Amino acid sequence: MQDQGKTKLPLTQSQLSIWASQKLQPDSPSHNIVYTFEIEGPLNTTVFKRAFANLTAETDIFNITFGENQGEPFQLKTDITKFELPILDVTSLSEKEVEKQIYEKTLEPIDIGHQVFDALLLQKQNSTIWLLKFHHLVTDAISYQILYRRLSVLYANLMSKEVEDKNIPGKYLDYVLFENDAVYREGFSEHSDYWKEKSLQAVDEIKFYGEKKAPNTTAAERIIVNLGSKRLEKLKTVSQLSQVRGWTPSLTLYNIFMTVYASFIHRVTGSDHIAIGSPSHNRNEPKFNNTPGLFVEVLPYYFDITEKESFQSLLQKVKIESNNFLKNVSPGMVGNVKDQQIAAVLNFINAEFPDFHGMPTKVKWVHNGHIDDSHDIRCHIFDFEGDGDYYIAFDLNTSVFNEEKRRVVPQHFLLLLDAFLENLQSEIASIPLVKPTFSDESNFPQQNSSKTKTLYEEFKLQAEKNPNSIALQSKAETLTYRNLFHKVDILANHLISNGVQRGSKVALHLQRSTDYVISVLSILKIGAVFVPIATDQPLERLKYNVHKANCSFLLCQKEIPLEIAFTNLNLFNWSKPQPENFDFKISSEHQLSYILFTSGSTGNPKGVAISNGALINYLHWAKITYEVDDKSIFPLFTSIGFDLTITSLFLPLISGGKIIIYPEKSSGPDTSLLDVVTDNLVNTIKLTPSHLALLADRDMSTSKIDIMILGGEDLKVAVAKKLKNQFHPQLRIINEYGPTEATVGCIYTEFDEARHDQTSVPIGKPIDNTQVYILDQHMNMVPNGVQGELYLSGKGLAEGYVGEHELTTEKFLENPYSQQTKIYKTGDLARRNTNQELEFLGRIDDQIKLRGHRIELSEIEAQLLNIEGVESCSVVVVSGNKPANNQETTNCVKCGLPSNYPSTDFDELGVCHLCRAFESYEEKAHRYFKNDNALVQLLTSKREENPNYDCISLLSGGKDSTYVLARLVNMGLKVLAFTMDNGYISQQAKVNIDKIVKNLGVDHVYGKTPHMNEIFVDSLHRHQNVCNGCFKTIYTLSTSIALEKQIPFIVTGLSRGQFFETRLTEELFWDDHLNTEKIDQTILDARKLYHQENDAVKKLLDTSMFDDECVFEKIQYVDFYRYSDVSLDEMLQYLKDEVGWVRPTDTGRSTNCLINQVGIYVHKKELGYSNYSFPYSWDVRLGHKTREETLDEINEVIDETEVKRIMSEIGYSKEDEEGGANSDRLVAYYTGNPGVSVKQLNTTLREQLPSYMVPSQFKQLNELPLTKNGKVDKKALQQLTSLQIELDTPYEAPRNEIEELLEGIWKEVLKLDKVGIHDDFIALGGHSLAAIRVTARLNEEIETNFPLNKVFEYPSIKAYANYIEKTLTELLEN
Amino acid sequence: MKDKISNYIIHHIAKQKIEAIHADDDLLADGLIDSLGMMKLVAYVEKEAQIKIPPEDLTLENFMTIDHILEYLANHSTT
Repeated sequence: MQDQGKTKLPLTQSQLSIWASQKLQPDSPSHNIVYTFEIEGPLNTTVFKRAFANLTAETDIFNITFGENQGEPFQLKTDITKFELPILDVTSLSEKEVEKQIYEKTLEPIDIGHQVFDALLLQKQNSTIWLLKFHHLVTDAISYQILYRRLSVLYANLMSKEVEDKNIPGKYLDYVLFENDAVYREGFSEHSDYWKEKSLQAVDEIKFYGEKKAPNTTAAERIIVNLGSKRLEKLKTVSQLSQVRGWTPSLTLYNIFMTVYASFIHRVTGSDHIAIGSPSHNRNEPKFNNTPGLFVEVLPYYFDITEKESFQSLLQKVKIESNNFLKNVSPGMVGNVKDQQIAAVLNFINAEFPDFHGMPTKVKWVHNGHIDDSHDIRCHIFDFEGDGDYYIAFDLNTSVFNEEKRRVVPQHFLLLLDAFLENLQSEIASIPLVKPTFSDESNFPQQNSSKTKTLYEEFKLQAEKNPNSIALQSKAETLTYRNLFHKVDILANHLISNGVQRGSKVALHLQRSTDYVISVLSILKIGAVFVPIATDQPLERLKYNVHKANCSFLLCQKEIPLEIAFTNLNLFNWSKPQPENFDFKISSEHQLSYILFTSGSTGNPKGVAISNGALINYLHWAKITYEVDDKSIFPLFTSIGFDLTITSLFLPLISGGKIIIYPEKSSGPDTSLLDVVTDNLVNTIKLTPSHLALLADRDMSTSKIDIMILGGEDLKVAVAKKLKNQFHPQLRIINEYGPTEATVGCIYTEFDEARHDQTSVPIGKPIDNTQVYILDQHMNMVPNGVQGELYLSGKGLAEGYVGEHELTTEKFLENPYSQQTKIYKTGDLARRNTNQELEFLGRIDDQIKLRGHRIELSEIEAQLLNIEGVESCSVVVVSGNKPANNQETTNCVKCGLPSNYPSTDFDELGVCHLCRAFESYEEKAHRYFKNDNALVQLLTSKREENPNYDCISLLSGGKDSTYVLARLVNMGLKVLAFTMDNGYISQQAKVNIDKIVKNLGVDHVYGKTPHMNEIFVDSLHRHQNVCNGCFKTIYTLSTSIALEKQIPFIVTGLSRGQFFETRLTEELFWDDHLNTEKIDQTILDARKLYHQENDAVKKLLDTSMFDDECVFEKIQYVDFYRYSDVSLDEMLQYLKDEVGWVRPTDTGRSTNCLINQVGIYVHKKELGYSNYSFPYSWDVRLGHKTREETLDEINEVIDETEVKRIMSEIGYSKEDEEGGANSDRLVAYYTGNPGVSVKQLNTTLREQLPSYMVPSQFKQLNELPLTKNGKVDKKALQQLTSLQIELDTPYEAPRNEIEELLEGIWKEVLKLDKVGIHDDFIALGGHSLAAIRVTARLNEEIETNFPLNKVFEYPSIKAYANYIEKTLTELLEN
Repeated sequence: MKDKISNYIIHHIAKQKIEAIHADDDLLADGLIDSLGMMKLVAYVEKEAQIKIPPEDLTLENFMTIDHILEYLANHSTT
């Protein structure tokens, strides 16, 4: 083999990934690989040193160094390193101190530009430790085996000169060349295809025990366990089974460990689709068998673990996967899988280290506390001694695995290994990983608790204690405890005389009022059960609930239509009954208190029956925890049908506090909360996070509220933080979790900014007498941190669902962890975080929470299916696509483009994709621009025909357009200046304009339209700015003047950056032979389409002249800055010297127009970035602005008060601003008879469902999209934008390649996630510039030359695809 | 086919230098070829015989010796 001498060689694929990783973490020692060999016996160290010198001389990896040339790494063989092996006498040191010395050696950085290895001899009493350290760039585990064996031979030779010496290690650089050439070798592309396909496999985001790895962390701990003889015996037996056995005993073991490892990952991450990296040793070619160096490449295994997967079935998958792995590994393959994230690695090390010249040797791979930053976990299995006793080492990234987790990882792994060895047929999911322990002893039911009082008794106690305190207060009346007690007495007697008795179910169909509270208490006094049904419920639902709960009485305040008067139901209106005397004695733990209806998945609501004991348990706990006493004042302002209202209803009454009652609004949404905060009378409040939206932008700093209990939905940390600021820092914020079935609240936490730093506030810990279990689908407890389903047990559980025995046994199960108790299956997903607080992680089914309302989507779907003509349907929640304002944005380091600009992609240097792409066509783009002479030539070319003026110059009064006008005059042209008075030109700008035209001596006209404000509003809706509408008005009015006065040219002052916003696109420069005439023609075509767009300008102004295309021959539009190149400084100097222009100080900097900032405000609010970001980034790219100037302007502070004033002035309402599209809403998709109208669906559902359950949009589809598993693809349905749903065309996915190609292009250009083949291009927001891009991309893709206007002629994917097909067929036939 | 297979083994996948290999030599015994070599051999045989061997047929019983491989091919050849 040739000597590579001093040639610089590129790195192998495997070296490249390590090099890149080291480059990212220059100080991390994670790529230092250290082995120690402790040789026991009389080692001759002098001979050893000579042998080692010989080894370093004959083996090239000792002498390879690395360098970098313009960012490209290279390696080369340097001169033989003069390295003298140091000997350290450690005889006096303890074992620990020696280990410390070794450990410190592993941390010393390796300077790969100088020497890639280090070595040391440590002389102990009876043994010598040889330490050999390499950078991973030139070594792997087998290399150490080769070097060790070789050194042993070299040592023996020097000692006795008799050992056979022909097995000289090979040269690594030969392999480097071999690998570099791999692409030319047979099978390379076939293997590459295999790995490329693998790397496209979808994998779940991996979170071990629920934790995500912190970025750029390498710190790790290595935990080593020994299998032990018992397991080894079993392993041997199982390995012999024919269904287990692989090609070789090591492959068999490897497959077993891979199966157990995948099972382990599946169980402790909850992921079903997992990738595991595993090194391929890669010494495939016999010639490299004995070559040290970095050969290994880590390549991925993929597993889809199914629901009932057994060890046996997974092992079969592993066997197939490992065979395919082996079949397709070859040098260089790792280059195909670089982008794939591999969090877990399994490394089966097949290296053995025999005696050293007859002396037994202990081999150690020393861990230095760091691993590659892309790995969460690495599992190494090795048997260096070759005696069949395997060790397993887990390297665990410490940001993922805290100390507790690092301790349980080997336990869980071995539990699964044991289960595997015990019974191959076991279902992986069925193996319990956690032994049930009851850490929450204090929360266990106190079986012999003192006899519980009833709620009424508690109230009575307070009435006796504080008879004169105010209990209830409303606009209509105020009641003291004495008054209230008295009234309750009267009503109770009245009810009894009408037949209500203990256990009777009494429906309350009442407004929030003192009457409501009196009714509730009276019913409880009797020992009857109250069934609150809010007055906003549709009649059908009222009827259903009354029936289902078996109510025999109904209390109401207004006439109920007679049809509800069922048999046996006593219906009476609230009136003033007369007192009668009865004495009541009732008290029992399981006596029912109330029945509350919640959404049910079968299409009907279900009634949850709550006992007195459950209610009292919650209230007692809440009273203490929330410190409720006779000074507490609660508002009663939420729906009586909501279980969170129970808190506000009873807590004050059992504590001597006060309730302020806010009745429902007579119409529209219930905004009682606004009255609550305006009155500012209460100090404690219970509400949902959604309610808080009503308080946005309100000054709450003087609010008396000092404790706020939030329940009903996920509470975001950002929301809680904002509350503290909005109210006062002492505000106590409680996050309370609890399904109706567990009585109001059963898990809670108090928000603590220091502890709660994730996205959501955890739900916390269980309340008194409540137990929480997180279980998997086999009812096994999941390990700490792992996600599972939340189960609840304890005093707060409901008795069940009324009249639904089956459903009750389905949800309230026998508790496997505590005899004779029930546990309730919540359907909520949760985990315990490292603080032992519970985190809510979503739903198992499709129950959702919308503005605090618990909704079963299947209930809505069931109701929809009842409607004739609806065949199938699916209801989804579509989230409002408000940009995340708190998201941090960065700006491109070159042009300043913000990172939240749609589809931007920044490279590792922080340069945006537009800048990168521009590099490739910059030269061509510059050819589009011309010079002053060409401009004069053009503008004077039609002088003969038009004697009055050469051109119209569009003058806004800003610096750019003023400069244009001045220069045109300076060029000797006859100019008419045109200024659009849009009503918002600043005063100073007007003065400027008048002065300029006077100074320059040019004629000047103003353009005006009474429709300007409507045009602004339309532009804000269409483009989220005002400029588009204004520009179009300018073009329309100036063209009309040009026609009238026969002026052949209109000169604009658009900046070069603005060309790229309005005229030019990257696609125009794709053509290899750039033809500016062709570009001009395309731009002109686009302009023709532009004036045909059906916007406010077309509707409100006279645009008839554009109907005749000859207008574009008579009038030409010329961009001044296409011809003139001037820097900002030059321009300002010129304006100062020649024109006397001064910068207006009464506007924002970007403009001299006052309304402009409304556009910027709306654009930023709706899209998250300024509308100037894009054109200014082009100004920077083209050298007309600096990045700093751009950033200053796009980050300018906007005067919101002024913006709001102008908004109301032009008629852009608040409703427009916060449009319905920006909040979460229900959308129903259905198939069936096209004759079914949306109105009909809406009306029918309103009769059955409360308004918050009626979808806000309905969309008919030809068929519902399905997932691979044949379920309705709800995700796909959620991707349609509100614009697309509003289109009256049904959604249909592309059906063939051409349609798919078109969809791909449309999606990219229109920035949509999905496009149906019937959707209209213009309705989707397509405009002329988008047409240029779509057409250019299409022409590039299929090498055609379709004209621009075809997009508008065939405005749907289906129509355009037909057109393409027809054209192509014609082409082929001719 | 027999010669092709033994040549491939000798020149490309054998872990030790060998001069010849017999049709009834146990390929996996004594580490002559490892599992990686075995799968390379499978790939080679698939290409040469132009067949696709299903995963469940990749067993020791079918691939232990060159004879076994030839027998398997004889039984599964498409032509």
